[in-house]
Parts: sequence; C-alpha cells; structure tokens
Amino acid sequence: MNRLVFTLAALLAAAPAMAQDANDTNAAALIAKFAAEAGITADAEAGKAFFLANQAGGGADTPSCTSCHTADPRAMGEARTGKPIEPMALSVNPKRFTDTAFVDKWFGRNCDSVLGRECTSAEKANVLAYYSSL
Amino acid sequence: MTTATPTASQTRVWDLFVRVFHWSLVLSVVLAAASGFLLESRILLLHISAGLAAAALIVARIVWGFTGTTYARFAEFVPAPADIRGHLAGGSRHLGHNPLGALMVLALIVLVLALAVTGLVVLGGVDKSGPMAPWVSYALGSGVLGLHEALAFGILALAALHFAGVVFESRRSQENLARAMVTGVKERRPGDHIAPARRAHPALAVAAIAVLAAGGWAVTASQAARPVPGLPVATLDATYKAACSECHIAYNPSLLPAAAWLGIMAGLKDHFGENATVSAAEAETITAWLTANAAETADTKLAHRLALRITEPPFAITEQRYWKRLHTEIPDAVFANRAVGAQSNCAACHADAEQGRFSPFAIDLPKETLK
Repeated sequence: MNRLVFTLAALLAAAPAMAQDANDTNAAALIAKFAAEAGITADAEAGKAFFLANQAGGGADTPSCTSCHTADPRAMGEARTGKPIEPMALSVNPKRFTDTAFVDKWFGRNCDSVLGRECTSAEKANVLAYYSSL
Repeated sequence: MTTATPTASQTRVWDLFVRVFHWSLVLSVVLAAASGFLLESRILLLHISAGLAAAALIVARIVWGFTGTTYARFAEFVPAPADIRGHLAGGSRHLGHNPLGALMVLALIVLVLALAVTGLVVLGGVDKSGPMAPWVSYALGSGVLGLHEALAFGILALAALHFAGVVFESRRSQENLARAMVTGVKERRPGDHIAPARRAHPALAVAAIAVLAAGGWAVTASQAARPVPGLPVATLDATYKAACSECHIAYNPSLLPAAAWLGIMAGLKDHFGENATVSAAEAETITAWLTANAAETADTKLAHRLALRITEPPFAITEQRYWKRLHTEIPDAVFANRAVGAQSNCAACHADAEQGRFSPFAIDLPKETLK
C-alpha cells in the first residue's frame, strides 16, 4: 500500500516534467492545422526567412529567433540565462512538436519576446515546415 | 625538535609536550589569524580548522597543566599578587614561567578559547553550519562577529607583547628563552626560583584528553543531528520547479521578499526582457508557494544581507551592490563561459543554490572556466 502511494506520488511529482512528451500531436499535423487556419500551403523557404530575420517590435535582447536558437536549427541553442535549448530541427530532435500545449506555450511566449505580438498561423506553419525540412 | 640532554650545569625545564604544544599553537594561531583577516570564503575552512586546532591544543595544555612535569603545572606557575609585585621589583630569575609570563599564558588560554567559542557562534548563526547552528540566530551570529574580530586583534596584541617580553627577559637574564622553548633545557644558576619536582602522569593525561575529545565529538554529532531553524525551504514545489526552471535555475524562494515575488509574478509578460507567462492556475499555485516561503521566512545571511533589501523592480539579484561586491573578483569571462552562461546561473558555482544555502563551503568554479 505504502509502495503504491509512493509510486503515485512520484508519478504526480514527475507529471509536469513529462508534460513535454504528451505525444498528442506531431509536426505534420501541426503544419496541416496552421496552414488550414491561414489558408496557405506551408512554405519551408518562407519559414527559413522568418526564422533568420531580424524582427522589430520585440525585446531588445531578442531581436530574432536566432538570438537563442542560433542560425542553425540543427544545433543546440542557448537561452540568455546560459541554459541549453534542444535543437529545433526534427531530423536531429524527433521529440519536437509532439505536445500541443508545449508548442502553444512557447509560440505564445517567444513570438511576443521577438516580435512583440502573436505569430500568425501562416508564420507558424512556415517555420514548422522549415524545421521539418532540415 | 632537538632533545638535548642536560649537562651538569643544565636542567630540563620544558618537557616535550610543552614544546610541541607551544610551537603548534604558534603555527595554528598564525594560520587562523592570517586566513581570518584575509576573510576569503575559499580559505574559510582553513581558518576554522586552524582555530579549532588552536582550541584543541589549549584544552590538551590545560589537562597537562594538572598532570604534566614540574614546570608545566599551573600549581607551579600561576602567580599570587605578591609574586607579581616581587617580579616587577626585579626579583630573582624563574626557571619556569616568570609571573608576568604566567599571566600571558593564562590570558592566551582564555583568549584562544573565547575566539573558538565566538567563532562557532558566528559559524552557526551566519553560515548555519557547525554545532551551534541549531541554537544561534543570524542576528546573534553577526553581532558576535564583531566580538570575534575584537578578540582577534586582542590576540595579535598579546602575541606582540609576548614577543617583546621574551626579548626583554632574554636580555635581562642573559639567556635565549626562545631557544630554551626548542631544546627544553636551561642553565642552572645560583639563586633561581626552583620548584619542587613533580612527576608527570602521561597515561592520565592521555585518558583525560581522550574523554574530552570523545565528549566534544559526541556533543558535535548530537547537535549536527538537530534541525536548524530558519533554513530556507529545501524542497521546491513541483509546479514552481517545472514552470520556472525551463529557462533559468529554480531560484529558492528565500532569495526575494514576498512583495518582490508578487511583483515578478505580476510582470511575467516582460520578465527580464522576455515573455514568460504561465497559465492562471500555475500562477496561483506558484505565487502562493513563493510568498509563503519568501526571504521573510529564512534566517540566512543571504536573506538578511541581500534578499530583504530587494524592493525595487526589476528585482534583479545580480544588480544589487552586495551581490556585485561579492563577485568583483570573478572575471566576466567566467560568466560568459559555456559552463556558466550568465550571472544569473548561481548553480554553476554554488552547488547548494537551489536550497538557498549558498554556503561558503559549497563554492566551486566549473573547471572549464579555469583554463
């Protein structure tokens, strides 16, 4: 009985850490969803240009996606705090884009940090297509 | 240490224990004083070790004062007021400690022990370490630090006086007293104060020292097992840790006062230049936990000297004067190094950062930064 309680408690405690692996979606499904919302066909080249561009309107320390993710999505990134960020490219990091809540949270935060606004569905579809094309 | 055999005109005054004790005490007090006045966290352990060694030597010396050879005994050298007056009036030579020298011995014994006790009070109250930690508040520990420092200047003054006294008496009595403390023997002269010979009881001394050492160890061990009040919360809330350590280390809530945490949580949309918003449910849980365990609830040096003074947005710890003063010697290259990344990454060097301890004994620069 104690053991069961302990196991349940351990699972509960670990739940937030596992949230990133909800496994309720994947990159292709998200691209399809965002592209449908925008009424476009996802374009990896447009996504690359968006990823590399210097944006206006965001925070002074985060002018571009590359500020933290580096210009190569296949490489490790680094937050301004020094914390490493796993690669974005699906080819080197297949666990990316498998958790709807996680994807929504970080698009929500980082689009605001870099652009000072929410990303459009077209921008999301394109950049995800770019990450998937590498 | 040479062990000269006394010739016909010489006599053994200082036994081996007294000589080894004397020079070991010199060494430990010099080490403790030098490391203490430098006030470097990196050598704090040396300071504490040297100070405790000096205190242990004193305790052993007190035992030997009741069990040792003739001139080691308190009964032989502790002077009556009349002895002091007689010595000051230019009385005859003492083979053992003369009355003024004896006063110096007693003063040093008291001072070294007082330094050890006040040092442990400071260690317990300020660093929340050592046998006094369960009993001493930060306020008491930091208050006693002033006394500890005053006593340290006192022992420097006594050491200088002792040195001057040895030089003066060596010239007056035409003998090298420092050398006698090495060889143990002195010249026998007519008219000397000669004490009646006493037998040493080394087995009794060893037994007494062993009992005292075991007692000291037992007291220390039992105190170490007691809970220390005023420590920061050691286990971080799971929601807080999951949501707030994705980009940076999980800061212990004792690093900011409750009002600052409220300010941080209200400003997550522009959190040090980035959007770090969390869900409303997460925000509620996190805010409640942070404010319930904020700096006001911790009795650490960090809470008092740093955290409780942070009242202005953006509530940045690394912007505080106290933080900057403690990190002036750390080159920018260390913070920029990949193993650290930023000044905000406390845990790169402070192994106990997440627990909010920041003990001086848990600091270690990553070896990548030392190239």
